[in-house]
Amino acid sequence: MSRRASVITLLLTLTTVFGGLAATLALDVPPRLGLDLQGGFSVVLEAPQDTEADVLDTAVEIMRRRIEALGDVQEPEISVLGERNIEVQLPGVTDRDRALAAVGTTGRLEFRPVLDVSPVPGLSPLFLQVPPEDTTTTTTPDDDETTTTTAPPTTTTTNPDDTTTTTMLDLEELTADIVLPEGVTWCDEVDQPGCVDRQSGLTVSPAPELEAFLATDFATGGGIVYHLAPARVLGANLSDARAEFFANSRGSAVGQWVVSLRFDSLGAQQFQDMTRELARFGFGDPRRQIAIVLDATIQSAPPLGTDVDPNVGIPGGEAIISIGSGGNPQTDAQELSVVLRYGALPVALEQVSVQSVSATLGADSMRAGIIAGTIGLALVSIMLLLYYRALGLVSVVGLFVFAALVLTVLSLLGAWRGVTLTMAGVTGLIVTIGISSDAYIVYFERIKEEVQRGRSLRAAIDHAYGRALRTIVTASSLALVGSVLLFLLATASVKGFALAFGIATVASLFISVAYMRPAVSLLARTRLGDGGRFSIRGATGHPEESVR
Amino acid sequence: MSLFTDLYWGRTTFDVVASRRRWFALSAILLLVSAGVFALRGGFDLSVDFQGGTVVTIANPDGASVAEVRDRVNALGITGARVQESGGGTEMRVQTTRLDADREQALVEALAGVTGSDPSDAGRQSVGPTFGRQIADAAIRALIVFLAVAALYMTWRLQWKMALVAIAALLHDLLATAGIYAIVGLEVSPATVIAVLTVLGYSLYDTVILFDRVLESVKERGDRQTLTSIVNESFNGILMRSINTTLTTLVPIVSLLLVGAFLLGATTLRAFAVALLIGIAIGTYSTLFVAGPLYAAWGEREDRWQRVRLRLDRKAGTTAPVRATPADAGDRPRIPSTGTAIPRPPRKRRKSR
Repeated sequence: MSRRASVITLLLTLTTVFGGLAATLALDVPPRLGLDLQGGFSVVLEAPQDTEADVLDTAVEIMRRRIEALGDVQEPEISVLGERNIEVQLPGVTDRDRALAAVGTTGRLEFRPVLDVSPVPGLSPLFLQVPPEDTTTTTTPDDDETTTTTAPPTTTTTNPDDTTTTTMLDLEELTADIVLPEGVTWCDEVDQPGCVDRQSGLTVSPAPELEAFLATDFATGGGIVYHLAPARVLGANLSDARAEFFANSRGSAVGQWVVSLRFDSLGAQQFQDMTRELARFGFGDPRRQIAIVLDATIQSAPPLGTDVDPNVGIPGGEAIISIGSGGNPQTDAQELSVVLRYGALPVALEQVSVQSVSATLGADSMRAGIIAGTIGLALVSIMLLLYYRALGLVSVVGLFVFAALVLTVLSLLGAWRGVTLTMAGVTGLIVTIGISSDAYIVYFERIKEEVQRGRSLRAAIDHAYGRALRTIVTASSLALVGSVLLFLLATASVKGFALAFGIATVASLFISVAYMRPAVSLLARTRLGDGGRFSIRGATGHPEESVR
Repeated sequence: MSLFTDLYWGRTTFDVVASRRRWFALSAILLLVSAGVFALRGGFDLSVDFQGGTVVTIANPDGASVAEVRDRVNALGITGARVQESGGGTEMRVQTTRLDADREQALVEALAGVTGSDPSDAGRQSVGPTFGRQIADAAIRALIVFLAVAALYMTWRLQWKMALVAIAALLHDLLATAGIYAIVGLEVSPATVIAVLTVLGYSLYDTVILFDRVLESVKERGDRQTLTSIVNESFNGILMRSINTTLTTLVPIVSLLLVGAFLLGATTLRAFAVALLIGIAIGTYSTLFVAGPLYAAWGEREDRWQRVRLRLDRKAGTTAPVRATPADAGDRPRIPSTGTAIPRPPRKRRKSR
């Protein structure tokens, strides 16, 4: 390698690596620590045999929503493992019992009649009540509760813009005068059953026997808020829900996608009672709708068909929800059926592994890893320096370049792809200290050998590189194949190890090309190349002297 | 000159192929003892991850003794608990059959009481009996696929015989490591699985480096040197690398072992580091003393190498085969001498550099 090429490559490599490290430090992007290093809580859940993949995905979605509702979780990781396992990792979670409840139970599915629909997305019908200034009687808060039953709240369709601005301005004042349905209170604490949040006007944890103000999913359904009657049928009484394609449904020539429901005997009776009552309302009346609620979110609110007899309702415990032709009816039908099936799942997911690591324990492991790594790095450096002298210097600096590179890559992967560094990963990195110094050892031994065979120092350095690189590439690619396979096939902690190991292997390969070669090549041109005992020549020896 | 200076300057001339029977015997004994102990013990000591159960780890600032902790656990009506001290008495670890949430909470509080630590600082793990099987299944699947891919890769990059020998050496390492585990009575945990997989990777890596070197020499001097002497030369050529790499790999692991296990009381680290320590040492040994000689012995049976040997013998000027090098002692040519000249294979033209 020419001097010029060496200098350029070396400078480029060093600026890239240390610049990258400085940038991640400056931007304060540390590697993301796994929960065994920062403390936290992890659960592996197992679904019953033959659970469909869709159902697992729905379960993951439900858990994600519930965990976000927990509030104090930093970046939960929920992933499906294998065919029927879900792994939930909650770093930094302190409330163990609530976390377990959030991940451990099935979705709660309810069928509720609709009482009212807010015309403005995101706005609760509660906030659309007539302002109390308009009513002539001023009542004490105690009286307020009794009046609710006798005087049903009149809803006004005020200008939406006006109302939204009012609600934003003085929520507390406004909510003080709003009339709540019987049994429903404002929330003082989150767990209170059936209570309504002052900010959003939505029911936080609906109780089946109480009225509720619930919205469709804000992300997909636009957050339309419904005022709902108490639940009439519960998910436990739904025995099956299937997405089906009806080739010819009720006279229409074109087929359509539907979700067919089947209830058990109790559910069938309840469903018939509910539909009979709802059929009294005319078509187009919001009260002719049945809201399907899963975990406080309205999944769908289909109106009752025009042909339902108000005296009979829908008998027989079987019903069909037709999916409109807009959007993608097939996907919609399948998604809804999965939601219904999961919510109706009679058995909860089983917790096969629960682990909590306290923050101090995590910090201890982290410290142990760092101390062990530092000692290891120092000892290896000393060995390499003693053994390879000036060349050892190259490898010692190289180990620091390696450490900087791996740290940067891990930080960036943590920020971009949510990759976490676990205890297994840390040990993986410690092991690679030795493996990354192997590249240097292979090369240096080769240089020594070439010199012993009688080549000049410079020629030996160039010649040995080609041969050493071939060996390094062959062996490293095998290590890489191994870590990729491990990452793809193995479970949690093994994955973390495989990832760290794979990153380290690639980094060490990169360093062999971009750092090791130019560094040695340049060093050979300095006084450390062919000088005293500490030089490269000192480590490789003089072949002519060695002939006895 | 001393052994070390010979090693340092790469002037060692160990004849590892000739002494292979000794090494094979050593490995055979190792494997037999492993299998025997394994059978006698009736398998491994499986960690809670594999057999299910509850583990509570808690700091021990009051310095409670194992007996005190055990009494307290028994008082709760939890029988058959395993109480261990780690980190030189700074930490207590209690392993029981799987407890439900309430009983687990009661156990944690009782432990916190006797050790004088904060219950919220306890590490808890509760595993169902089927979970370990899944971890193990995933690991075994990964292992089998890895072996298949590694064999294909080595066949492509090296030679199929080398691939088979490397896999054989790897199985040797796997069995020997398992045997040592059974002998020492170390607990097998998911960390152990990781360690064993690392060891296998390392062992293959090492073997690839040896065989790569052998192939390179075969290309250069395959017509002038017997396979046995090439393997011997390669062995001596990489001996220093192997020793150095093994040392530089083991040094951080020993530091992990000492720091992790004795200074800070991280028990999982200890099992991991011990497995690596044993495995990497065995992996290096098997590459140098099992894989190399095995390949040499097997490869020598090929016609090509028989011819090279015979020709070299003739060239030495004797009718009866003589020892060209001490390496040939156990490998007399098997092709009977017919008295006719054996043609020299066309010599490859070497690239001018």
